[in-house]
Amino acid sequence: MSSPLLSVANITKTFPGGVVALDEVSMDFHPGEFTVILGENGAGKSTLVKIMYGIYTPDKGSIILKGREVEIKSSLDAIKKGIVMVSQIPQLVDRLTVVENISLSLTRIGMFETMTRVRRFFKEVSEKIGIKVNPDAKVWSLTYTQKQLIEITRAILLDAMVLILDEALTYLPMEERRKFYVYLNEFKEKGRSVILITHKIPEALEIADKIYVLRRGKLVGALDKASANIDKIRDLMFGEAAKTITYERFTKPYETPIGDIVLNIRNLVVEGDYGEIAVNNVSLSVRAGEIIGIAGVVGNGQRELLEAIVGLRRVREGRVIIDNHDVTNKGVKLTRESGVGFIPDQPLRYAVSADNNIVENVAALFSRKNFVVNWKSMRELSEKLINEYGIYPPRPEMHVKLLSGGNIMKTVVSRELEYASKALVAYNPTRGLDEATSTFVRRKMKEKAVNSKLAVLFASEDLDEVLQLSDSLYVMNRGVLYGPFDPVSTPRSKIEELMVV
Amino acid sequence: MRIVLVRRKKPLKYGGLVVALLSLLSGIFVFTIFAWLIGVNPYPVVETIVTTFIFPGVVKDFIILTLLGYALLIAFKGALWNIGAEGQMHMAFLVSIYITLIVFFTTEKSLPLYISIGVILLSIVAAVAAGALWGGLAGVIKAYAGVDEVPVTLILNYIAYFIGDILVYGPFRGKYVYGYARTDLIPDPYKLSIPVQRQLSGNALIDTVTGYMAEFATYAVWLVALILVLIFTYWLLNKSNIGLRIKILGSNPDYLVSLGYDVRKTMVLTFMLSGAIAGLTAALYYHGSLYRIEYPLEYNTASYGYLAILVAWLSMLDVYLVPLSAYIVSAVILGSQRVSSLPSVREAFTRLQLGGAEMAFKLLMFGSILLAYSILRFIQDYELKVVS
Ligand SMILES: Nc1ncnc2c1ncn2[C@@H]1O[C@H](COP(=O)(O)OP(=O)(O)OP(=O)(O)O)[C@@H](O)[C@H]1O
Ligand SMILES: [Mg+2]
Repeated sequence: MSSPLLSVANITKTFPGGVVALDEVSMDFHPGEFTVILGENGAGKSTLVKIMYGIYTPDKGSIILKGREVEIKSSLDAIKKGIVMVSQIPQLVDRLTVVENISLSLTRIGMFETMTRVRRFFKEVSEKIGIKVNPDAKVWSLTYTQKQLIEITRAILLDAMVLILDEALTYLPMEERRKFYVYLNEFKEKGRSVILITHKIPEALEIADKIYVLRRGKLVGALDKASANIDKIRDLMFGEAAKTITYERFTKPYETPIGDIVLNIRNLVVEGDYGEIAVNNVSLSVRAGEIIGIAGVVGNGQRELLEAIVGLRRVREGRVIIDNHDVTNKGVKLTRESGVGFIPDQPLRYAVSADNNIVENVAALFSRKNFVVNWKSMRELSEKLINEYGIYPPRPEMHVKLLSGGNIMKTVVSRELEYASKALVAYNPTRGLDEATSTFVRRKMKEKAVNSKLAVLFASEDLDEVLQLSDSLYVMNRGVLYGPFDPVSTPRSKIEELMVV
Repeated sequence: MRIVLVRRKKPLKYGGLVVALLSLLSGIFVFTIFAWLIGVNPYPVVETIVTTFIFPGVVKDFIILTLLGYALLIAFKGALWNIGAEGQMHMAFLVSIYITLIVFFTTEKSLPLYISIGVILLSIVAAVAAGALWGGLAGVIKAYAGVDEVPVTLILNYIAYFIGDILVYGPFRGKYVYGYARTDLIPDPYKLSIPVQRQLSGNALIDTVTGYMAEFATYAVWLVALILVLIFTYWLLNKSNIGLRIKILGSNPDYLVSLGYDVRKTMVLTFMLSGAIAGLTAALYYHGSLYRIEYPLEYNTASYGYLAILVAWLSMLDVYLVPLSAYIVSAVILGSQRVSSLPSVREAFTRLQLGGAEMAFKLLMFGSILLAYSILRFIQDYELKVVS
C-alpha cells in the first residue's frame, strides 16, 4: 500500500468554554483514495478539516504531508500546499461575480489568469460536472447550493492535491451528483485525494474507499469499503438513536382529516433578483393539518416562491391569502404576526444573528410584542428547544456562531416550528442535519401539522424528504409548478423526469 | 485589474484589547516624536502625560466623555457610526439657551428652589428631545435615503454649528457681552455645579486627594446622571426589546428583516436614543460648566463629540468599560494639553512662530490615537486583494 498523502496524528482541539471538539484523532488520506468522514452534528468533522485547512490550530497533534510534518498557518498556506477546502458555509465575496471570485483566489496563490481564460476554465469544469451557473452573475444573487458549486469548481481550478468537501454536495440533484462523483473518481485516479463530509450515508457507502466515523470528538471507527455496511455505520455514529432513522412515510397514527385552507396562493408571478420571471403563474393551496412538498432542482424558483409567500419578496401578479386575509405585498411583519414560521434558504444568513446567543435569537422572534423582554421565560423556552432537539453543547448562552453547522440549523428549525401556529413555510428544512436529527425534525413537522392543525408548505432539493413527508407534492421547474401528485402512487421516475426536463 | 477590499474570514489573532492598548501607546508615541521633532525633550512630555492620570482636572472631562461614550455605544452596537454627537449636543445647547436665557431669563441671584429645579428640568427635557430629533434626522436620512451615516452625521454637525452661529449673532446674543458674539451667562439660579472651597495643604498627595473630592463634589449632579445613564444603557441593551433589536441590527439586519421587524424604524430609533443621551450631556454641560455659548460654536464643546468616538471604540463596546475608557482618553488628552504649557514647548512655539499650542497638541494626540486605532482595526478586519 502507498504511503499516505496527508495524515493527521493525535489531534486534540478544545474550544474556550471547555468543548472538546477533537480528542486524539488520527487519520490517513492516501493518494487515489476517496475518504468519507461521518459523524452526527457537532461530532467535530468541520473542526478537523478546518485544522487541515489552517483555520484552526490544534492544541496537540501533528499534520503530516507527504511524509513530512508541516504546520499549516493559514488557508492560503494550505492552498499553496495543495490542500483546498469547500466549506459548509460559502466563503465567496458577495459583491463580486463568479469569475471575479475565482480569479481572486487564483491571484492569491500567484496564478495570474485573464478573466476570459478563467471564464473558459469555469465553463469547461462546470459543464463536465454538469452545473448551470452564469459565470458573470454576482454571487449574492445565487442560492446556497450554487455557491457551493462555484467553490467546488474553484477548488479544482486551484489544482488541489487534497480536496476537502464539507457537506458540499448534499443538495446537488442526484443526476448531477452522480456526474460529479465520476469526475471526482477521475480526479483521485491522478494520485490525488478526496475527503468528503456528508450526512448521506448510503451514498457515502457507494463512493467511499475508506470511512472514518467521529463521535463526540473521538474517532470511533475506521472502515474500508469491504467491511462497511449501513447499520454498522449508523450504529457507530448514533448508538441507540440509530434505530429511529427512517425514510418510510409517516402514516398510521397521524392520519386525521385535514381542515380549511390556510395558505391560498393564486396565480403568483414573482421576479428573481435580476428582474427575470422566477415564479410563473403558480397556484396552490395548503389546508390546516396538511403538508405540501415541492420537489425541484435548486434555482427553479422555489426560493422566490417561498419568499414571496411570507412577504420577503414583491409579488408582481397574483394573490397570497393566509387564513382568508389577503396579505399580498403587505410585508413580513403581517405574515409573522399571523403565526407563520419560516425557514429560509441560507439560514445562516437570514435566520440567525450569529453574534448573539441562542436565547437572544429566540427572544427576537417570541418577544416581538414585549417592550421589556421576559428573559426568564425566553431562557426556559430556549432550554426546552435545546433539550428537545438535542442542540449541542446545551448552553443557552452560547453564541450561535460557535455552534456546528447542524446545530445552528437546529436552533433555526426548532424556533420556527415552535413559533408556527398557523403555517410553516420552509426551504430545505433538514439541510445540514444528520440522519437521526433529520428524521426527528420531519417527524416533528408531521406531528405539529396534525396535532396543531398547522399548514405546512416546504420545498426541498432532497426528493426522499419530499416523498416521505408530503401529503401531496408538486414539482417546480423553471418557475412553473407541476402537480399535485400523490407521493405514494406516482412513480419516482416520473417526478425525477419533471425535475430536470 | 482591480483592487478590492474584503473582510477577513478570520480576524487576526490579537483581539480588541490589544488593538485598544496598542493604539493608545502608538498615539502617545507619535505625539512624543512630533514634540521631539520641534525640539522638545521627550522626557517631560511623557512624564506630563503619565502624571495626568492622577490629576483632579481629569474629572470633568471624564464624566462628560463617559456620558457621550454611552450615547455612541448605543449607536455603535447597532453598527451605526454616529459621529454626530457634536451636532446633537449643539442643537441641545440651543434649546437650553432659549429656555434659560430667553423664556425664563432672570437677573435674580436666587429664586425659590422649585422654580430653579423646574426650569433646569425643563431645559434638560427639551435638550434631550432636541438631541433625539437631530440624531433621528440622521437616522431618517440613513434609513430612508440610504446615505451612509458617517458623512450625514458629519454634515449635520456643521449645519448645527451654522444654525448656532446665526442665533448667537442674532436673537441669542446677550445684553451684557460688550460686543462679543456670545450669549449672556446662565442666571445663577439655573447653575448645576456646586461651588466648593478648598484650602491647599502644600502636600502633593493630600492636595490631589482633596482635589478629586472637590471635583466630584462640584459635579455631583453630573455623577448622578452618569450612574443613571449607565443603568439605562445596561437595561436597554440587555433587557429591552429595542436593545435586542439594536444588537441584531449590528450583527445581522437580514435576520431582523425575516423576523418582520422594520429595520428602518429600528435605525431611526437607535439614532434617536443615541442623540437623546448626547442632548442630555449637552444640557448638563451647559448648566454645570459652560454657562454660555459663543461664536464660533464648534469651540464650545472642546471636541467632546469626537473624543467620544475614541471612548466608545476603546471600550470595545462593553458597557462596563466605557467609564474606564473615558478616563484614559480624558487623561491622555488633558495630558497633551498640559504638555503645551511646558516651558520648552512654549519656547519652541515662539521660536517657530506658531500659535495655539494647546489646541494643536490636543488635536495631534487625538489624531494620532485615532489614526493608529483605525489602521489597526482596518488591518484586523480587512485585507486588500487584487483581481486581475
Ligand atoms: N469557535 C468555536 N468555539 C467554541 N466551540 C466551537 C467552535 N467551533 C466549533 N465548536 C464546537 O465544537 C464542536 C464540533 O463542531 P464541528 O463544527 O466540528 O461539528 P461538525 O461535526 O462539523 O457538525 P455538523 O454536522 O453540525 O456540521 C461543536 O460542539 C461546536 O459547538
Ligand atoms: Mg460541520
